[in-house]
Amino acid sequence: MPDAIVAEGLSKTFNGSVKAVDSISFIVQEGEVYGFLGPNGAGKTTTLSMLTAVLGPTAGRAVVDGLDVFHQPHELKQRIGLVFQESTADQDLTGRENLELAAALFNVPVRDTPTRVAYLLDRLALSDSADRLVKTFSGGMRRRLELAVGIIHSPRVLFLDEPTLGLDPQGRAGFWKIVRELREETGMTVFLTTHYLDEADGMCDRIAIIDHGKIVATGTPSQLKDRVGGDVVTIRPSGAAPGLEAALRALPNVSGVTTQDGTLRVKCPSGESLIPKAVAAASSLGVGLAGVSLRRPSLDEVFLEFTGREYREDEGPTATDRAVFLTRMQDNRRGRR
Amino acid sequence: MSAVRRWAALTRRELLKLARNPAAIATSLLLPILYLLLFGQGFNFSGLLKASPFLNPTEQALLLQQDLLGAPDYFSYFSAGMVGFVAVTATLFVGANVIFDKLFGTLKRTAASPATATDIFGARLVAGSLQPVGLAFLVLGLALLLGHVGLSGLHITASVSVLGALEVVLSILLLSVMFASLFLSLGFTIEVPQTYFAVVNAINLPVLLTSAALYPWGSMPVWLQSIASYNPVTLAVWVLRINFFGDTYYKYAAWVYLLGLLAWAIAMFTIATLLTRRALAPKR
Repeated sequence: MPDAIVAEGLSKTFNGSVKAVDSISFIVQEGEVYGFLGPNGAGKTTTLSMLTAVLGPTAGRAVVDGLDVFHQPHELKQRIGLVFQESTADQDLTGRENLELAAALFNVPVRDTPTRVAYLLDRLALSDSADRLVKTFSGGMRRRLELAVGIIHSPRVLFLDEPTLGLDPQGRAGFWKIVRELREETGMTVFLTTHYLDEADGMCDRIAIIDHGKIVATGTPSQLKDRVGGDVVTIRPSGAAPGLEAALRALPNVSGVTTQDGTLRVKCPSGESLIPKAVAAASSLGVGLAGVSLRRPSLDEVFLEFTGREYREDEGPTATDRAVFLTRMQDNRRGRR
Repeated sequence: MSAVRRWAALTRRELLKLARNPAAIATSLLLPILYLLLFGQGFNFSGLLKASPFLNPTEQALLLQQDLLGAPDYFSYFSAGMVGFVAVTATLFVGANVIFDKLFGTLKRTAASPATATDIFGARLVAGSLQPVGLAFLVLGLALLLGHVGLSGLHITASVSVLGALEVVLSILLLSVMFASLFLSLGFTIEVPQTYFAVVNAINLPVLLTSAALYPWGSMPVWLQSIASYNPVTLAVWVLRINFFGDTYYKYAAWVYLLGLLAWAIAMFTIATLLTRRALAPKR
């Protein structure tokens, strides 16, 4: 299968010191749904911005649909679709007018434009509100309009930058259902960024986990879960637990034990059968337990496994956030001078 | 062909937005209307001069014509200036819209499409330059109307030829292109609306006060006349006044001043194109 996206040593440093993306390399095959998963500020949007010629890289190269992103940006923009995380539709125009404008900008043939616009409005359940100003649209309608604008020209590669941010679960599910159907119908390659684990798990053929600007793991969702090593039993002692980690390691079928902040994570093929043995081991050592829980392999576990910390969707400001903040401050200062 | 289509589509967008925002048009007209209705009515110099006991009516008329470069009264002189100045006040929204499009993400969307910086700038320039021409003629119509309702109004004393009318339209258009380019380049460069409006205010008033839009030419200090002679607003209103009141008091024909305006418009257009390209290029 040919490669739709090739990134080699892609890096982006803001203000000469803040590394938002740190020499990442990956390949996305044609027709694949490839997800970039990571917390806020991990470098997802910066990577996507470089792949879509919105942002120049500090180092590295990228090829999308056979075009060098940094030397053929104009040709590239004609072949890719881009859905931003924020609403970019013109609020003073109607939904139809926004699509007509996008059709003209992306060189959709004039004779095909009315049919294509009508098809997308219908396909994305926007026909009834097509002639209303976008400023009157709900959040879900705006997201669907963004998607329609992004695919008006039937792009070969579609980039989705956290497209369901701010939507309720129902809206998110509806959005992904449409993307899945469109992808099946057209066979286009989809590159998406998300910080929702369930979205990455449900949508992507392959996932790259990005943290602090580096890819820490890649694979299919099931490959990544397998690498966690089956179920995870989390044991929280009520006090000091000398010897408990060693005792747990000695139990049959345990593939690994890690301790973080006094909590022990035990990896094993079957959590249900391990729990009574683990409780008995703690009891025999005289260690009281505050709680025991079983977690099936999930991307939360994968994230924890590869980054060494729990996944939080509302993590605080990171390198990119700080860089963007600094850039805006400097722009403001320049504006004042 | 596709570039023309992109231009047309982006220009249509600008015009649709304009048509759906009558408040912006009203605000553009507010300043010149207030000047015509309040300032112009109170400062009609012809009345003041006629009250002088030391001059006979012929001398008064001659003095007035010298001061006002052939205009029959101050209101007529000044209303031609206001017609020119509306081009400045109306174009400032063109730049402000760029900043709001940045804030609302619309510009990001357009920049991510195959549209070039020239398409994006050009469409805004076309829409932004056509609007002031329309507004200028509204101000002109109002100034003429005021003279027919018992107030001071614009009295055109020369017979305006077809060529003269074209010169008038062209002068307003060139002035609009020049200021639309200036404000667009500010809009693409500045990120914060407050900063933009502060800069615009710092430009507008000095431009107005160092031009011959308000100031009677004969009463202007020589040093200020030297500055005002190169002010694009002056050049535009001179073209209007030559066509409205005759060219007796002017050094050159209207087309010479039009050439000066053209030079201003080309210079500002070139600077704005370069700044826009830089602003829309992928960030390094």
